[in-house]
Amino acid sequence: MISIRKKILILTTVVIVIMSIIWITLTFYNYKTQVKYNEILNRYLILNDVSRSSNQVITDLNNYMIHPTIDNLEKLELSKKVLGSAKYEVFKVRNVENHFTLTNYINLMDSLIETTDRLIGLERESEAAVKDLAETTRIGNYISEMTLTLIDMELKTHEPFYRGIMEHSIELVKLGIWMILLTSLLLLLVTYWFSLSITRPVQQLTEAASELSKGRFDKGITVKTNDEIAFLAKTFDHMRSNINNLIQQIKETAKLEYELQQNKILLQESHFRSLQSQINPHFLFNTLNTLSKKAYLEGSEEISDLLVSVADLLRYNLKQIDRSVTLRDELMIVKQYMEIQKARFTDRLQLKLEIDYSCIDVEIPALTLQPIIENAVIYAVEPRVDGGVITIRVKNESHFVIVEIADDGIGMQEEKITQILNERQVQSEGHSTGIGFSNVVKRLRLFYERDDVIAIESALEIGTTVLLKIPKKRGEKYDKALNSG
Amino acid sequence: MQKYMYIVLGIVFVSLCYLIFVTANIVFSNDLELPKAKKVTDTGYRLVFITRDMDTTFWNKVSKGAAEQAEKEGASLEIWGSYSNNPEEFLKKLELAIHSKMDGIIIQGFDTNEFKELTKVKAAFYGIPIVTVANDVPMKESLRRTYVGSNQFQAGNLIASQLLHDMGVKGNVVLVYDSQQEYYQQERLNGIKHALSKYPGIKMLHAKTSESRDQVIATMRGVLNEMPDVDAFIALNANMIGPMVQEISKRSQVDPYFIYTFDDGPDSLPLLAEGKIDGVLKQDPEKMGEISVQQLIKWLNGETVPLDINGYFTNIQILKDEKK
Repeated sequence: MISIRKKILILTTVVIVIMSIIWITLTFYNYKTQVKYNEILNRYLILNDVSRSSNQVITDLNNYMIHPTIDNLEKLELSKKVLGSAKYEVFKVRNVENHFTLTNYINLMDSLIETTDRLIGLERESEAAVKDLAETTRIGNYISEMTLTLIDMELKTHEPFYRGIMEHSIELVKLGIWMILLTSLLLLLVTYWFSLSITRPVQQLTEAASELSKGRFDKGITVKTNDEIAFLAKTFDHMRSNINNLIQQIKETAKLEYELQQNKILLQESHFRSLQSQINPHFLFNTLNTLSKKAYLEGSEEISDLLVSVADLLRYNLKQIDRSVTLRDELMIVKQYMEIQKARFTDRLQLKLEIDYSCIDVEIPALTLQPIIENAVIYAVEPRVDGGVITIRVKNESHFVIVEIADDGIGMQEEKITQILNERQVQSEGHSTGIGFSNVVKRLRLFYERDDVIAIESALEIGTTVLLKIPKKRGEKYDKALNSG
Repeated sequence: MQKYMYIVLGIVFVSLCYLIFVTANIVFSNDLELPKAKKVTDTGYRLVFITRDMDTTFWNKVSKGAAEQAEKEGASLEIWGSYSNNPEEFLKKLELAIHSKMDGIIIQGFDTNEFKELTKVKAAFYGIPIVTVANDVPMKESLRRTYVGSNQFQAGNLIASQLLHDMGVKGNVVLVYDSQQEYYQQERLNGIKHALSKYPGIKMLHAKTSESRDQVIATMRGVLNEMPDVDAFIALNANMIGPMVQEISKRSQVDPYFIYTFDDGPDSLPLLAEGKIDGVLKQDPEKMGEISVQQLIKWLNGETVPLDINGYFTNIQILKDEKK
């Protein structure tokens, strides 16, 4: 990740480096030119030095000739020494162009020194001395003239150089201008690009933010840079998707709540209906009781009992449908039901009870036995003229209580048995109380949380036996759910 | 829009780069070199050639010959001198050359005491060999090593023979020369006298003058006034031929006169080409320069010691006016 700070640093560094390079180059160039200038100036100074010191020699010589004191002699010797060192310096000025003249120049200096030396030894007033003095003066003049010649020559020799320097300095100014233009152009471009690289992602972010503020959470945020903004955008995008998910969840929850609300309303309605429906049976039940009393008062005791049974059955049916009862209660209601059925079938229907009473307090869902027996009556007794026997056996085993309901009817087909055990709705033939066999099976299985709670054995033309294997300790889950419901 | 902007920016960028490249090339090119310093002293001889008449055809040829030879020999030769026969400047140059301790001096001889003083005393004192060229100075007076140039006596002789050939053995001949009587002019005069004195019919008239133009004109005027029956003129100093011809043509036709001179003056050859003079003694200036350098170096190298005192003579010939 190239951070914005790093970008700024790189930009600044590049600018500084470029500027430094330009600066160093120009400084170096100026330095080189300066060195050359100095070199040339030095040449002129050296030549000028010779001219001056030779003149000094002649002045001192004249002084000495006029006043030949030791002081003046010393001065002369000193100026000669200066001329000697100036002569030594002149060697540095030597180049291809002025080589010849320069040699003459040096020789002239030698001649001057030699003549001077010769002059010192001579008689002051002698003719030779006067001649030599004149000669030294002439040599001095020659030296001065030659200095001018040499300087002139220097000028001529270096003329192209000077012109070159002038041209270069003009070009240098031009170069500087072009450089400044180029650098500014480049900097402008780079800065533009650089600011764009910062502001463009920011703009994208801003656009994304305004999209979000309009409530559109489904559009992804992409920033294709490699800096902090990209990171910000990624985080922002993450936030967006989170918010989006949350909103989806809220919507779903709201939907669920709405459904729940609907269901609650439905439930209340059904509860209301069930209460409503309880009213009529109670009225019916009261009427039955009245009828029973009436029958009893009119001497028809049998009808009276029958009506009581019907009423009891009805009451049980109404009250206990969704509760667990004991096996005892179930057996009692079965007996009452059989009473009613006996009134119809008289001797054709026989009920045998083989009950181990030690275990009839085991819990069992209400109206479990009655539908089975009703089923047996309908299929095993009703179709036959000579009726049938229905046997109810209750056996106590170590963990289970076995309840057998056997008939001696025509038996049941294998197909039908599987249908019943698989809890499918069986096509009912004829009439029943409404609660089908499959209902019983379902309830039993739910109640005990076991599949093997019911079994059906059947042999054609011999009879059908329904086996209920009721555990003494049943699962607690269903119980709880049942109690709380 | 943006595309155009990019193109414009690109063009600006490229052109700036190009300009920078060009200017940087100029600025950083290393053509600004000072002349190379010379550390080792040249082993070649330092010679100087001094003349009184710089930039005249004749002396240019001499110096050209000398320079070529010097280059061949690997010696350095400088050409100094005065313009239009300025003796002061000329002698100053000679003195400068001596004080500059040249290895050798090739000089146009100048028959004056100052010149001889310089060559005899100063040059000898510094041990500098002097070679006179074209114009000689007597060896005993100047202590020159040798002379290179025409045999002036022969030259005089030759020009006189030409005169005899053209004019015949009878006539008045005016000989114009320096009142200073330079050695070479004397030699020429001797040569002419030698040739003409055999013929009694020829009368030699001497017109001495100084070299300045006005003086020459004045002298000529005098001569023409005094002696109207002059047949021929011989200018021993070639520098005088210009004013001479000018003065003659003022008075009368130039053609009837037989006019002769030497080629070491600036006007000689042009006048000959114009047909105003009848003959010019042609010397060999290139050869003079060449031989002078050659012999001087031989002497310096110790190959020919001593040099021929009489001198090394170069070719002479007469150039005639073609029209006649």
